[in-house]
Amino acid sequence: MHDPVTDPEVLLQRYVEDRLSHEDALAMMELLTRDPTWLNKITSQLQTDAMLREVSKISCRSQDFKVQMPRRHFQWRASLTRLAIAASIAFAFFLIYPPDEEAELTTNAVAVLMSADHAQWSGYSPKQGMPLAPTVLHLTHGLAQIEFYQGARVTLEGPAKFELLSTNSARCTQGKLSAHVPPQAKGFRIETPKGTLVDLGTDFGLDMNMPSPEIHVFKGEVQLHRESAAILPIKGGEALALSYPSKKSNADQVAFESLATLDQRTAASQRQAFQNWLTLSSDWKADPSMLLHLDFQDAKHTRSLRNHSLQAANIPDASIVGCQWTQGRWPGKQALEFRNVSDRVRLSLPGEYSAITLCAWVRVDSLDRAFNSLFMVQGYENGGMHWQITRDGKLRLGLAGRSGAPNHDYDTPSIITPDRFGRWIHLVTVIDPSSHEVRHYLNGELAARLPRLHTFKVQMPLAELGNWNNGGRFGSSAIRHFSGLMDEFMLSARVLSDREIEQCAQ
Amino acid sequence: MALKYAPWPGLTEDISQQVFLEFIAKEERWDLERDLRPLLATMTRFVAMRLWRERTREKPEVVQKLAEHIRQLSEEQQIEPRFEQEIGLLNECLNKLPDTSRNLVQLYYYHEIGTPEIAEQLNMKADTVCRALSRVREKLRECIQRRLQAAASSYA
Repeated sequence: MHDPVTDPEVLLQRYVEDRLSHEDALAMMELLTRDPTWLNKITSQLQTDAMLREVSKISCRSQDFKVQMPRRHFQWRASLTRLAIAASIAFAFFLIYPPDEEAELTTNAVAVLMSADHAQWSGYSPKQGMPLAPTVLHLTHGLAQIEFYQGARVTLEGPAKFELLSTNSARCTQGKLSAHVPPQAKGFRIETPKGTLVDLGTDFGLDMNMPSPEIHVFKGEVQLHRESAAILPIKGGEALALSYPSKKSNADQVAFESLATLDQRTAASQRQAFQNWLTLSSDWKADPSMLLHLDFQDAKHTRSLRNHSLQAANIPDASIVGCQWTQGRWPGKQALEFRNVSDRVRLSLPGEYSAITLCAWVRVDSLDRAFNSLFMVQGYENGGMHWQITRDGKLRLGLAGRSGAPNHDYDTPSIITPDRFGRWIHLVTVIDPSSHEVRHYLNGELAARLPRLHTFKVQMPLAELGNWNNGGRFGSSAIRHFSGLMDEFMLSARVLSDREIEQCAQ
Repeated sequence: MALKYAPWPGLTEDISQQVFLEFIAKEERWDLERDLRPLLATMTRFVAMRLWRERTREKPEVVQKLAEHIRQLSEEQQIEPRFEQEIGLLNECLNKLPDTSRNLVQLYYYHEIGTPEIAEQLNMKADTVCRALSRVREKLRECIQRRLQAAASSYA
């Protein structure tokens, strides 16, 4: 029991929560007698409480009512009949109070970072494949290739300061760049302190590192627009110093050759990354706490994924159902594609575990389902785990209740947003029994730290990657398959440190 | 309306469900061509009072007295029937809450964890959690009112 109080706010909450003690009721009565207008507060609190309950229910229904476990409110109504009635009513309420239609997603991105080689940035540090909103990019070292949404492609060499202005324009104050402007992007503009370059569909180079910045047009035509001066055309094969526009010279393609080698350099860098991964991967294989390590580098005809962990004698290889092989993060790295309702990888892991770390490299192509499975145990009961991404991009660990403890979902905020679709991301979720926490990580960085309300061991006797099997318990099974690629999966019976997780994500 | 006749926590949902059930059970009696609002209002009032009695009679006597006192005062109140509109505004207001308040709402309403358990997990005093929740609801109510007024003045 709690101590009696006279704090109106505490009393209000106890009233709303239906936890008033004898003394609380007396205190409330006194407050009301002294000031009848206090009733307005009570009514207001009850109204808001009723709406919040309704909103939380709508949110719950909108995910997947079909197999959603009954929430606490219904638990004391043991009868299944009542639950069925409640479901009908919930459906009726859904019709009466439909949730707002999903607002159309928007983006302010104007370009995408297509590739980079040894790129180092100062300030904002975009990653390869990342959509870019208007911003200043400060490339201190290396090469970076940016594709504007209207089609222009710019390769930058650091050190460079390049500001994205729109889908077809930018500002450059420092550095060297080459640009390819296809006919669809005609009119692409680059502003410089010495004037604005307007491209008429061409290939050109701009060197802002020279004492007098120079433009070299290799093909087509570029116009130089200056304040209070006539437009100056620069034809293919011509070059000029922007400070002395009247003096043209021959374009020097060799001076920009370093920018043309980006593709080769990127390929070399990918080979290196693959080698690094192979080394790190063998380290994980020697970790005794690793229960399951699937590196997806299996012979394609076997239709199984070998478990490379030291525990492999107890935990069998996984079986591939439906999925097709494809390329993973780098050339030479294999991945499985999950696309159809039937696609899945079947696993079995005997035992019960207090600590767990789940790691996966995935490429999310879309979030079509209310729940998009990464790793889900068959059914959902008795300490089972559902590792998944919700439709709104939250990474979720659902833990089925055990020993009287209720089911509970541990969610991040919406972190897997459409701008991450089609790019490789590293996801980790940790159950940490010592800190009583569930932690989620995205690309090596902590995304959410959530208190674990009830502690019990988890188990996953049968499970699936990229899909869910309800174990035949509810008749037809809800569709929760993953849409995308996966090229590595690890499950450890210990809590990986932040440093280890960061290392995995590199 | 359910709140007006049964100002008791968590009852509105039960009342709505019961009205729906009773309406469906006697479906053949109703003339669905007519305006059903007066009928539903009457049903809601009766169901609300019945459920309120059922819920409060199991409470200690002093709590029953308080509940009766609140109900009598509440019946005299004029409550605007705009639940649906306010629900929409509530969603907007929830998005404006600071993270800590939103987390609290998440734990209490979405995960249905009681205040003592929240306090234990967050290493706070239970009364502090109670105060915080009351304030969050008050802030949400103020936010809804502001938006209703803004909408009204934009139509004026």
